[in-house]
Amino acid sequence: MTDTRPYDTLLEKARDRGAEADLIIDHQQSLSLKARDGELEEQAVSDTRTLGLRVIKDERVGLAYSEARDEAALDQLLNQALVNAEFSKPDPEQQIPDNAQTLTSDDALLCPESHLTPEARIDLALYLERTLAGRDRIRNVPYNGVSERIGERQLLSTRGLNARHRSRTNSLFAYALAADGDITAMAGHGQTARTGEALNADDLIERVYADAIDLLAGKPVPSRHYDVIFDTEAQAGLLSAFMSALSAKAAKDGVNPWRDQLGQAVASADFNLTDEPDNTDGFGYRLFDAEGTACRTTPLIVNGELRTLLHNSATARHFGLETTGHAQRGPKSSLGVGAHQLTVTPGRATSADLTSGEYLLLTDLDGLHSGTNALTGDFSLGASGYLCRDGKRIQAVRGITVAANFFELLKRIAVIGDTAQWNWRRSVRMPTLRFSDVAISG
Amino acid sequence: MLPKHTAQSVLDHALAQGADFADLFIERHQSQNLRTLLDQVENVQSGLDFGIGIRLVYGNKVLYGYTNDDRPEALNAVIDQLAAKDRRDPVTTATAFDFREFPNRHPARIALSQDLSLAEKVDFLRRADRAARAHNEAIGRTIGNCLQREQDVEIFTTEGLHTRDSRHYCRIAVTAVAMDGSRQATGSDNVGGLLGWELHSQQDPDRLGEEAARQAMVNLGAKACPSGHMPVVIGNGFGGVIFHEACGHLLETTSVARKASVFHDKLGEMIASPVVSAVDDGTLDNVWGSINIDDEGMETRKTQLIKDGQLTSFLVDRMGAQQTGYERTGSGRRESYRFAPASRMRNTFIEPGNDDLDDMVASMDRGIYAARMGGGSVQPGTGEFNFAVTEGYYVENGKVQYPVKAATLISTGPAVLREISMVGRDLALACGMCGSVSGAVPVTVGQPALKVDNILVGGNA
Repeated sequence: MTDTRPYDTLLEKARDRGAEADLIIDHQQSLSLKARDGELEEQAVSDTRTLGLRVIKDERVGLAYSEARDEAALDQLLNQALVNAEFSKPDPEQQIPDNAQTLTSDDALLCPESHLTPEARIDLALYLERTLAGRDRIRNVPYNGVSERIGERQLLSTRGLNARHRSRTNSLFAYALAADGDITAMAGHGQTARTGEALNADDLIERVYADAIDLLAGKPVPSRHYDVIFDTEAQAGLLSAFMSALSAKAAKDGVNPWRDQLGQAVASADFNLTDEPDNTDGFGYRLFDAEGTACRTTPLIVNGELRTLLHNSATARHFGLETTGHAQRGPKSSLGVGAHQLTVTPGRATSADLTSGEYLLLTDLDGLHSGTNALTGDFSLGASGYLCRDGKRIQAVRGITVAANFFELLKRIAVIGDTAQWNWRRSVRMPTLRFSDVAISG
Repeated sequence: MLPKHTAQSVLDHALAQGADFADLFIERHQSQNLRTLLDQVENVQSGLDFGIGIRLVYGNKVLYGYTNDDRPEALNAVIDQLAAKDRRDPVTTATAFDFREFPNRHPARIALSQDLSLAEKVDFLRRADRAARAHNEAIGRTIGNCLQREQDVEIFTTEGLHTRDSRHYCRIAVTAVAMDGSRQATGSDNVGGLLGWELHSQQDPDRLGEEAARQAMVNLGAKACPSGHMPVVIGNGFGGVIFHEACGHLLETTSVARKASVFHDKLGEMIASPVVSAVDDGTLDNVWGSINIDDEGMETRKTQLIKDGQLTSFLVDRMGAQQTGYERTGSGRRESYRFAPASRMRNTFIEPGNDDLDDMVASMDRGIYAARMGGGSVQPGTGEFNFAVTEGYYVENGKVQYPVKAATLISTGPAVLREISMVGRDLALACGMCGSVSGAVPVTVGQPALKVDNILVGGNA
């Protein structure tokens, strides 16, 4: 538990200088391991603390952060934030919430003891790399890792807030390079669990191996429009690339394409999207947001209709609404909004319904950070996957592009599967969706 | 930043655990980020990053730890944790520190630690906003960013190297949003350098705002892009991202040493069309991707990567040199103390050729002129890359027809290097941030305009 006395003093000093303030104290500890050619190649440990101060004085917001924590550094932190506030425009909508309360996440649930010793973790990293690299036609496993991170966030304010969230995340991942003569293919995947004991290297090895070998035989398909299914990872990546459409902050700034769509249809009538920060099975679980507001389930799109945007207290004040508990801020960033754990409600289609006839199953999308325009919805991405018919993979596909407008795609979801799956980081949960008439270039 | 006697005792402790080599990377990094929305200051943020990275090398194994606690006992605790499984009798002893001062090629006149210059920065961004909105009344939003950083680093190694460097970065970016009913489109432009706030005196805020607005208006009227294999002319400047992605990453020993690059065994071979020569040069005065020394304490240099199509060098850091036998090139870089160094690019560009842009466009029966490129990514093991066109035009019968939107170019590094048939004279450089195993580092990409005879264009038409 962090000794908060120096930080309480810092907040008192802010008040003495006529400001209200809140302070984020992030404490991160990590261990990560990488293997190569059957040996441990890299082992990294870390232990860092970062302070992020937000002051509001005369309706002006100032931000500063520091990784130094001595008294002089804390004074400098306050001075910088107050100087920065002088230059900011008045923002009466941004206020330190009056929420004097103490909130503490459940360590037994989110940060259970992990009994895997450092030696056992090293053995796991070596086993993962060695076993995968030893498979037929796998040239090497250039990217792999086993890691554990413990993150603690404490949020204090001059209004008496004292909130603390602590969680443990264990993960492993591997990208294998398969080779057959001059033809190469790379595929990768990962796993996330609360404890190291829950990780299963064999499952990961089988999946990565199968994907890499299958891709070796991949070739383009003729350019035309296809029905498309994205696998869970690709679908989660695509969804997150366009989720600023749910941001009330972007709407306030005039750069949200859905800013005037509340109450209107933005998706097919059977599409339902909810944010579920209270689902403890996921790693997006949050007890409170970055302003200390308690998080709760929030229906966002109901039967295709946009019900609400994601709000913090400032955007809510701007639009005359209540905050939805989606304030987002890191120690080094300004107040924004963001989803915690998006969930698409399963539909009624069975696997057979989803996979009838011909379609492309896209398992990998390249360029999500550069080939998407969140404002217009347009995207054009490199892709690979499989040409399928009636649920059977007919041909591995690579060297193609998929291009469409995401917002238009949402309105022509052909089928929604009846089973929801987590992405491997366990941050988004959704069923399989099938989209019709998508442009593919090969 | 770290007392010499503390560094000595910590590195002695590392060698006492049997490490072959150890180094300390101490970083104190101030930053200030100003963001405007239209003519209003959206927020100002400043901060101080401080921490120490400790690297222990046992054979080809790297153990890396970091903390922002600079007490000797905290640093020794990191070493103890790292070396727990590899501890052995000492194999070498530390050499006494010999402080080396390298020439400062990139002096800063207005450093962040001396002058916040906030009022001037606000004025600059306001002028850019006015210019953008004056360009066309459809420009409904502008977003301005001004980032200034001052990174002080100190490096100690068990081989006796002790050195310091100060890096001053400044970057200004403007984005304009054009609106017409429910349609929106964006355009942006930026400038940056390895220097202080004096950057602004070399720049015209009106030009920056107008250029962002011009692109936004072009994109607002853009049509869906045709798709398929076709020739593409890629404009100069940030168009160099094609080489950065398609080739540069594949020449880093980070990939080469693992045989995870398609070029790992191609040194001395023709890997590109003979019209292609390319360099990675960290020495260019005050240029965004330059450095004085790399993050392993080696003076930077110019590295000829490809000469007339032949692969002439890789980019080699310390571990890469140890694993491949190639000479270090001063390319060991990292985002911060949180990352172990890795071989990374600096200012990477294709050298000028003898062709004209107009001739390139005129030579296409049906193709795309990609005037401006966005970002992209590459898979080093296969060489497969993708990158986005942010301002593109459809060309037919040698004439530009109309602007296109949502176009992506995909190919592989080896294929596209051989498909370059014309290289222009108009070399230009552009700033970018490159993300890889050692974090996000400032890099410059660049090229003259060039023509690729055949590449897959992904469009939505």
